Amino acid sequence: MRSFLTLLGIVIGITSIILMMSIGQSAQNLILSQIQGLGSKTIVVLPGREPTGPSDFSQILSDSLKEKDVLLLKQNIPDISQIMPIVFGGETGVFENNTYRLSIFGASNLISKIFDLYPEKGTFFSAEDIKNKADVAVIGSKVKDKLFGSSDALNQKIKIKDRNFRVVGVLPKKGQVSFFNFDEVAIVPYTTAQNYIFGIKYFHRIIIETKSEALIPQTVEQIKTVLRNSHNIPSPDKDDFFIQTQADLAQRVAVVTNMLTLLLVSIAAISLVVGGIGIMNIMLVSVTERTREIGLRKAVGASNRDILFQFLFEAVLLTAMGGIAGIVLGGLLSLASSIILSQVFKIQWTFAFPILPALISLTVSAIIGLVFGIYPAKKASNKSPIEALRYE
Amino acid sequence: MALIEATNLGKTYTDEEVQTPALKEVNLKIEEGEFVAITGPSGSGKSTLLHLLSFLDRPTSGQYFFNGKSVYDYSDEALAKIRNKQMGFVFQGFNLLPRTLVIENVKLPLVYSDAKESLWKEMAEKAIESVGISHRSNYDPSKLSGGERQRVAIARALVNSPAVIFADEPTGNLDSKSGGQIMETLEKLNVAGHTIILVTHETYTAEYAERIIRIKDGRIESDEKVQERRRAKDQFIK
Repeated sequence: MRSFLTLLGIVIGITSIILMMSIGQSAQNLILSQIQGLGSKTIVVLPGREPTGPSDFSQILSDSLKEKDVLLLKQNIPDISQIMPIVFGGETGVFENNTYRLSIFGASNLISKIFDLYPEKGTFFSAEDIKNKADVAVIGSKVKDKLFGSSDALNQKIKIKDRNFRVVGVLPKKGQVSFFNFDEVAIVPYTTAQNYIFGIKYFHRIIIETKSEALIPQTVEQIKTVLRNSHNIPSPDKDDFFIQTQADLAQRVAVVTNMLTLLLVSIAAISLVVGGIGIMNIMLVSVTERTREIGLRKAVGASNRDILFQFLFEAVLLTAMGGIAGIVLGGLLSLASSIILSQVFKIQWTFAFPILPALISLTVSAIIGLVFGIYPAKKASNKSPIEALRYE
Repeated sequence: MALIEATNLGKTYTDEEVQTPALKEVNLKIEEGEFVAITGPSGSGKSTLLHLLSFLDRPTSGQYFFNGKSVYDYSDEALAKIRNKQMGFVFQGFNLLPRTLVIENVKLPLVYSDAKESLWKEMAEKAIESVGISHRSNYDPSKLSGGERQRVAIARALVNSPAVIFADEPTGNLDSKSGGQIMETLEKLNVAGHTIILVTHETYTAEYAERIIRIKDGRIESDEKVQERRRAKDQFIK
């Protein structure tokens, strides 16, 4: 019982490490799967300068990407298979007495291919609609529910910024794709969005798809060259745009989540040290209590080494058991939290059990037993047999 | 050659620079197969002598030969090996491991010996049988009477077939009936050929031996054969 209480330090330490690792890994998987929603052949061009930190928002305000850039890219880079400018923002949509805050997505009909979006009712708007700045919209499933309820939305008119947009398509329920919830969108021709909704002449993003994944690095370089020429930029450090690929994003996400995990794990590791000191304490008590046993063992022929190994082995066994308990408990807690997150909060969260960290934790807890057990074990092995036998 | 031979054996304890002589210039020889009682009042040095003879402690002066070899020739590890193979110990307080079955307690010296593990059970069972408590093999020592516990301790002392058994006040914690049975067991072992060295402060118990060494103030006061040995059987007839 007393050993169990002492062991709690180790158990809690390992439990929290496993929990942190497992949640960290699941979070990373979740974010990576969203990034992959973008498609591996996709390159995103953003205006402004690459943000240097979380408080650097200057890029959002930049208006460097224009219609002529899209044309130049299309003309000069043969490896581009699709190119689509987008603008986005929030606006209120009204149908009869219902209002809903929409995410307006100004795009071309290529969005259908790039994000794998196909209306379950109706169709996407055409290239003709883009040219004509037509007031047409494809709406997400949640927008449809909020504004139209169970009645048919197709060909109905939604009022956005005093213009009536005809619903030409309704998307199936998609959920989160690449940080964007397509259930809450109204996709309109980008020309319409620029002119009539946001009143701007630039784009928020240019999305480019290459003919194959292998072409990405060279295409990125070609895009840079074309845009620098178009914007009259003399050197790369004056760039007023930057480029993201799926690989970039994935790498960046991995760096951030790994750092967070490391931070949390090092906090949890402190409890392991405290737990280790607890183990040392209990082992010292145990050595004192078992003084007569040590004396007897020595009398019947145990050498100092035998006694040293016996107590070291007990300490290691104790902490390794704590480690196993911690791994099991941490795994169960992580499983429970993933069930809660996916069932209750409807997040696409998958349980990830960190096998390598679990093995490392087990080793670490055994090493804690070894490190904090050596002093008590040494003390036990150095006892003189007669004094130990006489001990009351 | 005597099994045990001590010349001018002495032990002085030093505690914070205060020297306390416990044993002075002890000379004795014990042959194989003897049954010797070392007796004397408390503080006389009889336990110190037993500790020196049984390699549990080292002398500070004089010579001690066990089987013809000096104690100074052995390292601590080597002394532990000899204690394991050639000596058996029986203590006043039994010193059995708690929450450990009788048979496992008896096996303890085998753990530190080079006996094959496959033979341990058989060896332990044989030792338990020779002290007459085979029916208690799978008991926890806490369920046993004092006399039975001491017999478990004797079985443990026997399990490696040692040359000599050291018994330090083996009857001290027992009533006279159980004590008599323990002495009878030791006597049987002596008859079977084991050398037995017994430490006791009771003259009564010492008289089971064939030779009594009396110690007083760290010196041998007398060393003589027992004229009329007390026999265990008489104990039962009375």
